[in-house]
Amino acid sequence: MPRQLAIDLAEKIRIQAERSGAQEAETYLESSTTTEVRLRQGQIELLQQSAVQGLGLRVFRDRHMGFLYTTDLRDSVLTELVNRTLALTNQATARDENRIAENLSVSQSDLEINDPALGQLRTEDLVTMARAAEQSAFAQDGRIQTTRDVRCGVSVAEIAFSNTYIARQTYKAGVVWLSATPIATAGTQKREGTYIDRKRFLSDLARPEQVGQLAVSRALTRLGAATVPSARVPVVLSAEAASTFLRGLFQAFSALNVIEQRSFLSGKLGQQIASPLLTIIDDGTMRRGLGSGYFDGEGVQSRRSVVVDRGVLRQYLHSGETARHMNTTPTGNGLRSYDTLPTIGPTNFYIDAGSKTHELVEETSNGLYVTGLAGFGMDTVSGEYSQQVDGQWIEKGVLTKPVEGVTIAGRLDEMLLGIDAVGRDLEFRDNVASPAIRFKELTVGGGV
Amino acid sequence: MVPDRSMSRRDFLRKSALISGALAAGLPEAVSLLHPRVAQAAIMGIGQELQDVLNEETVNRILQEALARGGDAADLFAEQRFRTSVVLDAGKIDSVTYGYPRGAGVRVVLRNQTGYAFSDELSYSSLLDAARVASGIVETQSRTSPIDVTRRTLEPPFTLASPEPLMVEATKLQILQRMDAAARAADPRIVSVRIEYTDEARDVLIGTSEGIYVLDRQYLTSISCSPTAQAGGKRGSGLATLGGRVDAGYFARVSPEDLAKAAALQAVRLLEAGSAPAGPMPVVVAPGWGGVLIHESLGHALEADGIRRGTSLLSGLAGTRVASPLVSVVDDARWPNGRGSYAVDDEGTQGQKTVVVDGGVLRSYLIDKQNGWLLTLKSTGNGRRMSYRNWPLPRMSNTYIDAGGSDPASLLNGITKGFYAAELGGGSVETTSGNFNFAVREGYWIENGKLTRPVRGAVLIGNSLQTMQRIEGIGTDLRVEQTRGACGKDGQMVPVGVGQPTVRFSSMTVGGPSI
Repeated sequence: MPRQLAIDLAEKIRIQAERSGAQEAETYLESSTTTEVRLRQGQIELLQQSAVQGLGLRVFRDRHMGFLYTTDLRDSVLTELVNRTLALTNQATARDENRIAENLSVSQSDLEINDPALGQLRTEDLVTMARAAEQSAFAQDGRIQTTRDVRCGVSVAEIAFSNTYIARQTYKAGVVWLSATPIATAGTQKREGTYIDRKRFLSDLARPEQVGQLAVSRALTRLGAATVPSARVPVVLSAEAASTFLRGLFQAFSALNVIEQRSFLSGKLGQQIASPLLTIIDDGTMRRGLGSGYFDGEGVQSRRSVVVDRGVLRQYLHSGETARHMNTTPTGNGLRSYDTLPTIGPTNFYIDAGSKTHELVEETSNGLYVTGLAGFGMDTVSGEYSQQVDGQWIEKGVLTKPVEGVTIAGRLDEMLLGIDAVGRDLEFRDNVASPAIRFKELTVGGGV
Repeated sequence: MVPDRSMSRRDFLRKSALISGALAAGLPEAVSLLHPRVAQAAIMGIGQELQDVLNEETVNRILQEALARGGDAADLFAEQRFRTSVVLDAGKIDSVTYGYPRGAGVRVVLRNQTGYAFSDELSYSSLLDAARVASGIVETQSRTSPIDVTRRTLEPPFTLASPEPLMVEATKLQILQRMDAAARAADPRIVSVRIEYTDEARDVLIGTSEGIYVLDRQYLTSISCSPTAQAGGKRGSGLATLGGRVDAGYFARVSPEDLAKAAALQAVRLLEAGSAPAGPMPVVVAPGWGGVLIHESLGHALEADGIRRGTSLLSGLAGTRVASPLVSVVDDARWPNGRGSYAVDDEGTQGQKTVVVDGGVLRSYLIDKQNGWLLTLKSTGNGRRMSYRNWPLPRMSNTYIDAGGSDPASLLNGITKGFYAAELGGGSVETTSGNFNFAVREGYWIENGKLTRPVRGAVLIGNSLQTMQRIEGIGTDLRVEQTRGACGKDGQMVPVGVGQPTVRFSSMTVGGPSI
């Protein structure tokens, strides 16, 4: 369906819901186009092109809420869905929080999230970038004989939002990405390395040669990796590993989890929960940020929130519902797609850059440098932490040998307080980012 | 004609009568509280709405268009889902959602190359467009042979008496409220309970250039209940799951209250539990959901895409020993009520039972069509996709370690000091290296052949081939978990089943904080 027609339809459905008994109603229409190519050994393995159009409608009646979503935008279907959803709202519990969020969006300065150049990208351009990245990977080293694949894609989405109080608002946002996963082989051993860059602006994207080269160095570093004996030692997380760690940690800052006692940070507002070196920010207004938008999934204006300020927990992150419950202002973290209800999630969520450059490793006499984290061992309810890692061993400030087959473990509250260095290497290749960080001491579980 | 396997003819007529009767009586509550499209679909029969747009003739024409520029094969996959989800949190029904996503995708395959395009709009013209876009992968101009699809009959993997999604929403809400009350009553230290309910009826229509035309309806229901306990600054959470590809009678046969209570008591136990140990030691893994271990350690590495590309550590190892001789591994898409069960996979191949490892020897990979052609192997019915927006990948269905010969209790014998993984969480693997992990939610020390002190969660890690060689005992108590399991690969989530009997490893690395 043409874009404008769909937007008009969403508006019509909202008004229909209001006429049929909803005191408040909200529509969220998502339209996007995506193209991705995947290349391997110089050949296109996959070419995918898609256009998505989906509608979500939230209705409120007497403080009861109902929600429906569909990609079927036929009039008769929508009418039936709206009526049944309204009937269903009686079954939900009436709650004072069930209202449209206050603090609705107003216009603000250009966030630079819609690069017109993305609309000009042709499939051939994506193939050219992917091919250059793969060729660069093969050119690096004779031990690179194959790749899992190289991917290059572009997506442009348009969000149209309206509710009972605010007329329709729309914005467009684009993203372009390039990744490479070469495989290094030595004897019977194979190890892969992946480097992904994602950006709002094509001109900000890493050059294909660079992507290939960085991915190769990650794969090569892992060849010959072995386990080490268990020990309690300092552990440095590379910027990439620290970003993965921070993404997992986000749930502890979600106000919903805090309210329901499902976060180890419940009841810690205003307290020193981390080292004074640590500042954590969520900023939905960052220029060219991959998590930036003008408003969140409930029309709340995006903002910058200092969550942890030099180790002190300053605020939790909210949707309209949790903000009302805790009697505070929403933070614009009610994120969603057309087929989900707003859920508290990160916009641009990051650990602020510290002052250290290479000293994190150089100042460590005996410890572990972690470049990869895997698995589901972060429990933000109990605060227990245990994950599979790989990386390199540090001796006298120098990386000496590749390590795998080990775990790191600790208690999250102690770990955060025990951070004794924060690097300067903060770089956004996703909406969650961190510089390298060092934990003073963690348990490394080895295989010997 | 496809037999309506979802319900007996009698049930079908009874339900239709009930719904029409109710409609005549002026839409009483019972009917208005049913997913609107489910009621319609029940009356109309499997895939009827899809078929209205895509009959054999239209499918032929779309596939013809897809192959107009050449290509080895093409297929069309249309889907519509009726979803209901309910969340109960803090003692209140938080939200009730009706979802109705539908659309179709067209795939064109030329050797190792795939073109894929889809449309959210289910119309002949938009699918012709999708076919043209998908054919963009092809550069030759060779193929024009006519396509003639014929409807195939599917053999159901099992029979459902009365499909669960036809339960009215009020009944679903009552089950959640009963579970909430039971969890809270279990112990005063329970401070929070979150319960999520989802059900769906998924209709699919698949047409392929090989001439296949099938329709199927797949039901899936799940409830997860997660209570949190708190005392003395410590927190712990438990988990209970219910469901599977089950009928409405299932919720009367199991006791949702008992399961909610057990999850609450698990959360309370974790408050008292000690820290998990670190380092290598003998490990025994509990039956059922413990099968996440085989899913990660061997399952993913058996998938034919990694095999074909040579990126899996199991590439070229067919016919060789990859595990201890005690180990047999099965992938079975026909396991009764399994989350990963289906009559037909998402590219039109019948779901089947495949022995992948027999007595420690690798016998078969898990194969989809395209990778099968490239490997000159037949599809094992493992081509699955998350939705019409995705192309098929080789995926697991229900994967388990088959029953062994040991008395489960005897598997603890002789262990002076070891770790018992009682309740597992999720896991992941890198198939190139074979390094895998899975989380343990609740564990116990094994001391002198007995389970002693409880310990809190930790991750367990290993390398596929090494770990599979270290299996030294397998129980007779095989259980396949049908109530939980969602597997992610390349951004696509699909429901799966996993299973195993009690399994003993001579050594595995436990990743706790205590040295």
